[in-house]
Amino acid sequence: MKKLSVEQLMDLEVTSVSKHPEKLSEAASAIQVITGEDIRRAGATSLPEALRLASNLEVAQIDSRQWAITSRGFNNVFADKMLVLIDGRSVYTPLYAGVYWDVQDTMLEDLDRIEVISGPGATQWGANAVNGVINITTKSAKDTQGGLLVGGGGTELRQSEEARYGGKLAPNIYYRVYVKYFDRSDSVRPGGPTANDAWRMGQTGFRVDWEQPLDTTFTVQGDAYDATMGQVGPDNIRANGNNVLGRWSRSFGDGSNVKLQVYYDHTHRRIPGSFTQDIDTYDLDFQHQRPLGPINNFVWGVGYRLVEDAIVNTPANAFLPPSSGQQLFSAFAQDEITLRKDRLHLMVGTKVEHTEYTGVEFEPSARLSWTPGGEQTIWSSISRAVRTPSRIDRDLYSPATPPYRIAGGGNVVSEKLTAYELGYRAQVSPQFALSLATFFNDYSNLRSLEPLTPPLAFPVEQSSGLRGHSTGAELTADWRVTSAWRLRAGYTELRVHSEPNPGTIDRSTRDSIGRDPNHQFSLHSLFDLSAHWECDADLRYVGPIANQNLPGYSEADVRLGWRPAPVWELSLNGQNLLHSHHAEFNRPGARREIQRGVFAKATWSF
Amino acid sequence: MEFLNPIFYGRIARIVRRGCMLGFVAATCLSGVRAAAGPEPATVSAEYRVKAGFLFNFPQFIEWPARAFATAQAPIVIGVLGEDPFGSYLDELVRGEKVGGHPIIVRRYRRGDDSADCHILFISGSEAGQFPKIVSALAGRSVLTVADEDGFERAGGMVRLAIENGKIRLRINPDAAKASGLAISSKLLRLAKMITPEKG
Repeated sequence: MKKLSVEQLMDLEVTSVSKHPEKLSEAASAIQVITGEDIRRAGATSLPEALRLASNLEVAQIDSRQWAITSRGFNNVFADKMLVLIDGRSVYTPLYAGVYWDVQDTMLEDLDRIEVISGPGATQWGANAVNGVINITTKSAKDTQGGLLVGGGGTELRQSEEARYGGKLAPNIYYRVYVKYFDRSDSVRPGGPTANDAWRMGQTGFRVDWEQPLDTTFTVQGDAYDATMGQVGPDNIRANGNNVLGRWSRSFGDGSNVKLQVYYDHTHRRIPGSFTQDIDTYDLDFQHQRPLGPINNFVWGVGYRLVEDAIVNTPANAFLPPSSGQQLFSAFAQDEITLRKDRLHLMVGTKVEHTEYTGVEFEPSARLSWTPGGEQTIWSSISRAVRTPSRIDRDLYSPATPPYRIAGGGNVVSEKLTAYELGYRAQVSPQFALSLATFFNDYSNLRSLEPLTPPLAFPVEQSSGLRGHSTGAELTADWRVTSAWRLRAGYTELRVHSEPNPGTIDRSTRDSIGRDPNHQFSLHSLFDLSAHWECDADLRYVGPIANQNLPGYSEADVRLGWRPAPVWELSLNGQNLLHSHHAEFNRPGARREIQRGVFAKATWSF
Repeated sequence: MEFLNPIFYGRIARIVRRGCMLGFVAATCLSGVRAAAGPEPATVSAEYRVKAGFLFNFPQFIEWPARAFATAQAPIVIGVLGEDPFGSYLDELVRGEKVGGHPIIVRRYRRGDDSADCHILFISGSEAGQFPKIVSALAGRSVLTVADEDGFERAGGMVRLAIENGKIRLRINPDAAKASGLAISSKLLRLAKMITPEKG
């Protein structure tokens, strides 16, 4: 602390209970941070819309409610190499391998920040943090005291209401409760007819934070939601779920800290004409960080997870067996070594996991960061990550009884990645920051679909017969042009290649892997017209996705905000203004198009 | 009718069972940690280590009137009024440090009246109810008043260490400092949000 300037002190995280409160670990990774304020200024109405602010992500809206989101390639409706956590709770579905973005929500006004780390995070976060990690955290109840009412509506987001109230239960014990509801309109099929996928969702939740002076925090929080989603077919999709989480953390005078977290999560989804699924997750995570002398900062932890699912199959498709319970054991250790104080840091560590499908997996990494002086950092890393098989990789059969056309995937093993990264980050001047991250990813055992009795096309089984590599660069710039005007720009270049291993016949490669644009560009402008008026604009270009025959597109969002008084905010928002409708993902037959949207919003805090 | 379904009750029972098991393991871990941690050590959270860093840095940016120091070697006194959140951390931080020939020392006060001989006074949250009284008692003395609790600006305090998005932000009332004969460097003011008590 002695050597730090006031500017550096102002840059330190002081309330975080993450693996490293002071974020040294992330100095050596391609991290982008979206703050609650960024989200407000972008006029985002959902988490996926907020994620468009991270230029190291591919974010494609598939239809009214589905999104394909990943970093560094292999995007899909279930992007299976991207780990997503909300307040420390994994929302990666162990059934499908990916994230149901339609039911991941919270009060956006109460979001603290979203950290988007492109590149493997497996040493810290474990399996499936292969291409990146999205870490969403909400504010402490201490920071959301008082009431907040938000209401709005328009053409695509037809209506949206939110209410939150935060108060104090006792000295140092703060709470908040919230409830929200929205109704979203349909997307369209190419040419204009409606896709019948309008949907609505209600969600409620609470958070209690007990912040004992100095050193201990205890958090209990929970959410419950219920959603009805339109689909083509006889009946609507119903989804609901609930979760509750407890976290206790404590820091000690010697600079060490411990954290213990427990959560339970239940999700239910009934898709008429397809599966009905119920998943219960029980998770426990413990970690201890401790500086060992001036040179080493050591973190270790252990974790346990139990996932139980129950599927109601259909004659056409089946998970066999229809219900399962799987245990995951994990442990990790990581040392951050100061090779030269304030100059050169090395982090080495590994995670060890035991899964029921694949046994023991190692996920080691080494990261080096060098600060040659001034406000710049050069960093590099080598890491290994795995995507462990999900139920859908191993247990999916079609039809539900023999003879099968798709006969499970008993031989599917973990997908493995070895990643090499090199990055540079600089605060060129107090007004201008720049970062560049480059990578080469080498994949093996990627999932394939292989005929069991060639040359016959069917039956097929899932296997691990593909390999691939990807390479790319992520460039961002942040320029505070004047005290009233800020510009953020991002450019990402990406090449993904995959192929069958020699001797493997694969029927999936061409259109199921590497659905990624080769380049994308984004520009966000945040402009304070006066003390009461804000005008913000986002512009993005996403290149064509070759194997989906999807052309590139440009789109723009604009927001005009007015604060007539500190407690009032009114805004007018336009989304996807450049076209009446445009497509962002999917092959021609399955494609849906997203319509231009306009909505107004009012926020009152009391 | 989900509630009449025995499978539903089976599931509830299973969830409760698993929950109890997790709770048990968590409780065991907790008690283990408590045992390993031993008796309550004198601890300082990251938040107050950083805030101590700010207090330690402030003397470089403040110019006191000459009368504030008895001699050219007289110490700069950082005072802590009320419950001390820094433990010995602040003392360790300033040990052996000098600014402009003045060594820095830390003193602790129980009552606001005693604190007029210090140069920087951190007023602990335990005294939040007394902010207006403490601040007005120091009027005209060359003491930079600092606190981190809400309401300090309204009470006429000079510097508040506020937390925004997990980071510490400075709120400075330059008029109050000026009235006490203190000059705050523009280098520090540039990093701070200016406040006037009227606007809170």
